[in-house]
Amino acid sequence: MIQVTNLSKSFENIHAVNNISFTIKRGEVFGLLGPNGAGKSTTINMMSTILKSDEGEVYINGNDIKQNPNICKQLIGVVPQEISLYDDFTAYDNLMFWGSLYKIPAKELKHKILEILELIGLIDRKDDLIKTYSGGMKRRINIAAALLHKPEILFLDEPTVGVDPQSRNRIFEIIETLNQQGITIIYTTHYMEEVERLCNRIAIMDSGRIIAQGTQAELQQHSNVKEAVEIAFQSISENQIVQLKEQLQLKISQNNLKLIIECDVNKDLSNIISACNNSNLKIEDIVVKKVNLEAIFLSLTGKQLRD
Amino acid sequence: MILTIFKKDIKLFFSDKRAVLLTFLMPILLISLFAFAFGGISGSRQAKKPIKLLVVDIDNSTDSKSVITSLEALSSLAIIPKEIKEATNLVRKGKYVGVLIFEKGFQDSINAGNSLPIELKYDATREIEMRMLQSVLIQNLMSTVGEKSAKAKMSSYFDENFSGMPKAMKEKIFNDMVSGNSNMSASMNNTSLKMTSITKEDTKKGNLGLIQAVAGTAIMMLLFSIAAIGGGLLDEKESGTLKRLFYSPLKPTDILFGKMGAALVLAILQLVVMFVFSWLVFGLPIFKDITALLLMILTTAFAVSSFGIFLVAIAKSRQQLQSLSTIIILTMSAIGGSMIPLFVMPAIMQKIAVVSVNYWGIQGFYDIFWRNLPLIDILPKMGVLVGIGLVMTIISIKLFKKNILKLVDA
Repeated sequence: MIQVTNLSKSFENIHAVNNISFTIKRGEVFGLLGPNGAGKSTTINMMSTILKSDEGEVYINGNDIKQNPNICKQLIGVVPQEISLYDDFTAYDNLMFWGSLYKIPAKELKHKILEILELIGLIDRKDDLIKTYSGGMKRRINIAAALLHKPEILFLDEPTVGVDPQSRNRIFEIIETLNQQGITIIYTTHYMEEVERLCNRIAIMDSGRIIAQGTQAELQQHSNVKEAVEIAFQSISENQIVQLKEQLQLKISQNNLKLIIECDVNKDLSNIISACNNSNLKIEDIVVKKVNLEAIFLSLTGKQLRD
Repeated sequence: MILTIFKKDIKLFFSDKRAVLLTFLMPILLISLFAFAFGGISGSRQAKKPIKLLVVDIDNSTDSKSVITSLEALSSLAIIPKEIKEATNLVRKGKYVGVLIFEKGFQDSINAGNSLPIELKYDATREIEMRMLQSVLIQNLMSTVGEKSAKAKMSSYFDENFSGMPKAMKEKIFNDMVSGNSNMSASMNNTSLKMTSITKEDTKKGNLGLIQAVAGTAIMMLLFSIAAIGGGLLDEKESGTLKRLFYSPLKPTDILFGKMGAALVLAILQLVVMFVFSWLVFGLPIFKDITALLLMILTTAFAVSSFGIFLVAIAKSRQQLQSLSTIIILTMSAIGGSMIPLFVMPAIMQKIAVVSVNYWGIQGFYDIFWRNLPLIDILPKMGVLVGIGLVMTIISIKLFKKNILKLVDA
């Protein structure tokens, strides 16, 4: 559905986006994950036709965005990072305005606005001025304004910045509903838990480059980050560690009175506990270390996602 | 501690270029303008240009020619002979300060000692020049034909009342009068100059002060309000709604023309409201030539709204727009006659005024309400306003395109 090939963009001497390529299939939720300044928004701006790339190509449903920007604009909806609404208009008037830019017949547009307001749970507040809305409610209207022309693809550029956990969950539910309705989602964020929850496939960006992409499992494989358990003991000797290694045949590393054992937690945890008992090791605490994107990002880039 | 706060505030102040500009440059600029406008610049530095005076010599006599010759010799005047109709029209259109008309019988009146049929028809919108002309002309008349006229009047008076008076006595009395030894001289002076405002002949309700107040203020305030309306574009840029507009199928020019259209309509509305208010409250005769007035409102609104949009196009932020518009609009208004009527300004300022959009608007409204010119004669000023509007629009489009790309790249 979307084919991005060797896309690059520089501002003066800064390579904001540096030769990135990826493909997004219909119905996917594709995450662009990276820290601030990684080049996510620049990528979205180029894919949404408002910023010319220096090099590379973007095809949306087979349409070159440079050759057919208007066809592409009809296919996509963009939810910008900023709350781009008119504060002194009501929610309904805002949506009427943004919808009318796509020349949607008035009757159809009115119907669509009500449908979307219902979806985002703000139908009762439709006649209130945007400036009276909470941050989370504004974010939802910000999403609604990108849906009026029934886009097949929705770009969401950090749509949860500055919202409370409850509103964030509401936004996730909306995105999941939209995806279930068949809309392909491209989601940029620097919150890994959002990508973990929402995205089928992920591209990790750093300093304008895509350093890895794929499903979370593929990324895990690519990064060599393994699941592990961290077990704290009252005391531990070298002999006990050797015994444990012989019993389990797993990679074990020591950190003072803690052992970190790389394993398949679901499969190996009971064996590990039995082996500890057999070696007379008294367990004080067990922490399961699942593989997450934070760990993968750290492994791939050597820095924290929020650095 | 006080010194620390003091130092910090001084440092903060000088780091804010806008504040420095408004605090120092703006007053200096306005003081210079007002000083110049009110003639505060030293006379020695100003090259005084002669006032152009149209002359119509209907009498075509030796005496009228003698007066014209002596006027031509004055460095303060530039005499331009014309026919009566053309001369009157030129003054009515505001091209010249006045026309001096020597009526038929000028010489006969001098010889008979009667009041002189000589008239200065003037444009009251150029009051300062007119007063100077009046003074120069009366002095000149006194020195050229005053003595002859007074002598004729005295002779006629003596002949009527003292027919037997010896000629030598008449001469002595006359010489005393001329040398100022008698208070009869004033009563014998016939060299008065009839002064007629060329516009007041036709204007029943015309009130120059009111027209100046309405047109001058309306255009200045319009510039401010358009700059504020256009500034909405910068707000949209800052809030992100402008970027969102680019995601839609709209072209950048669609957005710009939409904004310009809104500014133009609001400008028209504002001018209409101001003129209707002036009619209701002050009795400005807005229905005198409604077609000309509406066209003038349209062209002024177009020029002013384009100029306001141009200000927005050169600004990069709302703050910058505020500083820029304050400086430029006040300067344009001061030069163009919105703050001080042009007719009280020196001639050089009146020439500089043409660079201001205010000037063309105000002069156009003068033409309608004061000079009572027909539409055809006001069209050139409307043309200039349309021209200003078009040039500003073209520049604004180019600047906006440049800035819009910057906006998205940022």
